[in-house]
Amino acid sequence: MRAREIMKRPVVTLAGEDIAEIKDIVYAGEAGEVAGFTLNGRGLFAGPLKTALPWSAVHGLGRDAVMVTGEDVLEERTVVVERSARSGAGGDVLGSRVLTDSGTYLGEIVEVILSVGERAEVVGYEIDSSEALGKDGRKVLIPLPDALSVSGEALMVPAAAVEFVTDDLSGFGAAIDAFRARLRENEGSASQAPGQTA
Amino acid sequence: MRFSEADGRKVVSTSTATTIAKVAGFAVDPSTQQVVALHLKKTDGDADTVLWSALTAFGVDAVTVAGPDVFVVAEGETAVLLDKHHSVKGKRVLTEGGDDLGKVEDLEFDAGTGSVTLLITKTEEIAGKRLTGVGSYAVVVRHA
Repeated sequence: MRAREIMKRPVVTLAGEDIAEIKDIVYAGEAGEVAGFTLNGRGLFAGPLKTALPWSAVHGLGRDAVMVTGEDVLEERTVVVERSARSGAGGDVLGSRVLTDSGTYLGEIVEVILSVGERAEVVGYEIDSSEALGKDGRKVLIPLPDALSVSGEALMVPAAAVEFVTDDLSGFGAAIDAFRARLRENEGSASQAPGQTA
Repeated sequence: MRFSEADGRKVVSTSTATTIAKVAGFAVDPSTQQVVALHLKKTDGDADTVLWSALTAFGVDAVTVAGPDVFVVAEGETAVLLDKHHSVKGKRVLTEGGDDLGKVEDLEFDAGTGSVTLLITKTEEIAGKRLTGVGSYAVVVRHA
């Protein structure tokens, strides 16, 4: 799911009342786990709210709404935002350059891709691809490893990520799994290599 | 029976055999998935609600009641369920997972018990027992 698709989505109680809408995503940790959402009011009450929605209180995140059991699950905005990380995969990455660890520039991040299940976390980026990818400068999706290095300057991905680039979201889930499996395989064989020192 | 068929149906007094009102709306309690009251029009006076429990029968051709004495002014929970913000018909259906299933075009209920048996959208027929919330924004249903 593209992060932008979640913005403005209504927050609806199981009783069928819309109590807020999503303003922004609060990320935590290096892997870019979704810690929660800041909120705007609805309709006449538009504008930022003092309350926020912690991820633990999300009952369901669907195509059309974010469901919660009731209004009482909202927390103070400051409490939720305190858990956020400025760095990490979900931080302020839009516009950052993606570099492979072999030193090739792959493109610029235009969108954050989330996987949503029991937890929600950043699993990839949509990038305006560089020539190196041979995609004629089109937007493509690039999978992320479980952990990665991010700075304000660039974001470093393993060179193998290039092999798992996809053009659209269908099939991207499988690409992430295959990419991460490959990385684990490599780690495994590296640790078994004879004569290697830490 | 569907709401669309039942809407506008005559409400007849069993004591005088005269039409004393017409059905104008339905209050559905999402916690029990039951029609708990009918909103009435063309009544003689302010009392424009009849509780399901006060009906003699919801018949094929008419709703029967003992007489106009059973009509009440809706209050409390019933008034909330009867207000226009809580009408089920025309409202979007959301699953508890946050997916939109379309707007409710009609409902089917058991005329004997008042149980809502189906919510009908353009593309789906949703079992009434999945109903969990009826709010001003949406009707919420559990996963099938």
